[in-house]
Amino acid sequence: MKVTLISIPVRDQEKALKFYTEKLGFIKKKDKPLEGGNRWLTLVSPEWQDGPELLLEPAPNHFEPCKVFQDALMEAGFPYTQFDVDNVDADYERLTKLNVEFSVKPTIMGIVKFAVFNDTCGNNIQIVENL
Amino acid sequence: MTFYEKELNRINNVIYSNKEQIETVIGVKSYIDNNYHNDLNLDVLSRFCFVSKYHLLRLFKKYYGLTPRQYLIDKRIEKSKQLLTKGTSITETCFAVGFESLGSFSTLFKSKTGMSPALFKKEQLSRSKLD
Repeated sequence: MKVTLISIPVRDQEKALKFYTEKLGFIKKKDKPLEGGNRWLTLVSPEWQDGPELLLEPAPNHFEPCKVFQDALMEAGFPYTQFDVDNVDADYERLTKLNVEFSVKPTIMGIVKFAVFNDTCGNNIQIVENL
Repeated sequence: MTFYEKELNRINNVIYSNKEQIETVIGVKSYIDNNYHNDLNLDVLSRFCFVSKYHLLRLFKKYYGLTPRQYLIDKRIEKSKQLLTKGTSITETCFAVGFESLGSFSTLFKSKTGMSPALFKKEQLSRSKLD
């Protein structure tokens, strides 16, 4: 078995595609139509294009418990998932200039530095740098 | 402050209260990051941070979740993938990242990536031609 895919619930796939590619810098890998206007939409990291794909999944629009869970995480400030970065401070500066809103500014905790931002699609996302 | 931040503060006080230990392991990780291509072992790292080698082994594992040796191997494999992708020869890559024999390099590379260095290099080159 291999881990090749992780999914992120999003309310609007097109909006999410724009945010994750134009602001975060991911690259679109697969985009195929499903029923009802939904898409199988995956992204990869530019520096790891054969790595795991990130599925932008419209689950909250179709399965109420997913929406409830996503809202609860958002309200409590919990990240839905996290991405590794080389330099949290540099990404914080870059994304702030692109009007990305951070709920946690770069913070050191033990052996990591991290920050948390709003992906505008219903999730908090954490970026982490191993010190 | 969100519930998430409160939880992090609570956990931080429990597991990251010993600043001296954290400084030690971060220093050792940084030393490995900068010297992975040299002949590194627990004796060298222990002398570098003035901590007995078995205490260092326990500390590193406690904070990073893996031993210094495992971290060093992962670092070397990561660097070797970068060199092979750039077209560096397998022999040159092997010694440039600190392995002492082609045999141990190939065996470790295959166990970590699922393919031999030769196959990995071939796939990367054919991928770059397709792009």
